[in-house]
Amino acid sequence: MSSELSILALYGLVVIVVVLLNVLTAMSQVGLMTLGGARDDMPPLTGVAGRVERALANSVVAMALFAPAVLVLSAKDAFTGGTLFAAQIFLLARIAFVPIYAFAIPVPFLRTTVWLAGFLATAYLYLQAL
Amino acid sequence: MTPETTVLTLAALLWAVQFIAYLAVGHGKIDLNKAIGPRDTEVDRPGASGRMHRALSNMTEGLTLFAIAALVITVTGQSTSFTATAAWIFLIARVLYVPAYALGWTPWRTIIWMAGFLATVAMLLAALF
Repeated sequence: MSSELSILALYGLVVIVVVLLNVLTAMSQVGLMTLGGARDDMPPLTGVAGRVERALANSVVAMALFAPAVLVLSAKDAFTGGTLFAAQIFLLARIAFVPIYAFAIPVPFLRTTVWLAGFLATAYLYLQAL
Repeated sequence: MTPETTVLTLAALLWAVQFIAYLAVGHGKIDLNKAIGPRDTEVDRPGASGRMHRALSNMTEGLTLFAIAALVITVTGQSTSFTATAAWIFLIARVLYVPAYALGWTPWRTIIWMAGFLATVAMLLAALF
């Protein structure tokens, strides 16, 4: 199994962890009964729970973009040293993104810069796939 | 096709069924003019239509994760009876999840969701190790 595909599966596990963090932070805010109920009148999540929810939404978008790039490269047998490096950058950036968002780390543009690194790594993979 | 990609295709069709079910449940309850507009303010989705919408959003997330698991397993030739069983558990759980959400089965919706979630985790772990 190529390293890029391993990174894709690893990123799936990263998103799994973020889903669990989303459940736990939401549960501590609205309670197990509200979260386990039909959520018809659930209040919007605020603070850290809201930030984890937004980080998850962003992680899912990144996942939906990253997966096709890696799978197309795999189908075309087009992996190179550059694609491995880009996939590694993507994984590290996306892992760092979650705590930077969740804790609202007060460094100007830190979250945005890290997001951009993952985004540009994905864009590079698409350029290599074409 | 591996069993995993068969299930993936069926799961994508389930997404489409859920979307149509959401439209059917929302018919007459969701303001159509607002829904086809630019949605600058939140569209009000009362009762079951809101539940079907949340179930659809959750399926989008679950399906994306499952797609990675199913495709990595297939591309790397790692399909086993274990991963195939996990894939079918995912699909069954995702089918049951829809009535569980729409009808407010508590706590069964959470338990059913967890079955699909753990099946996906098992497949990702099987792909890696």
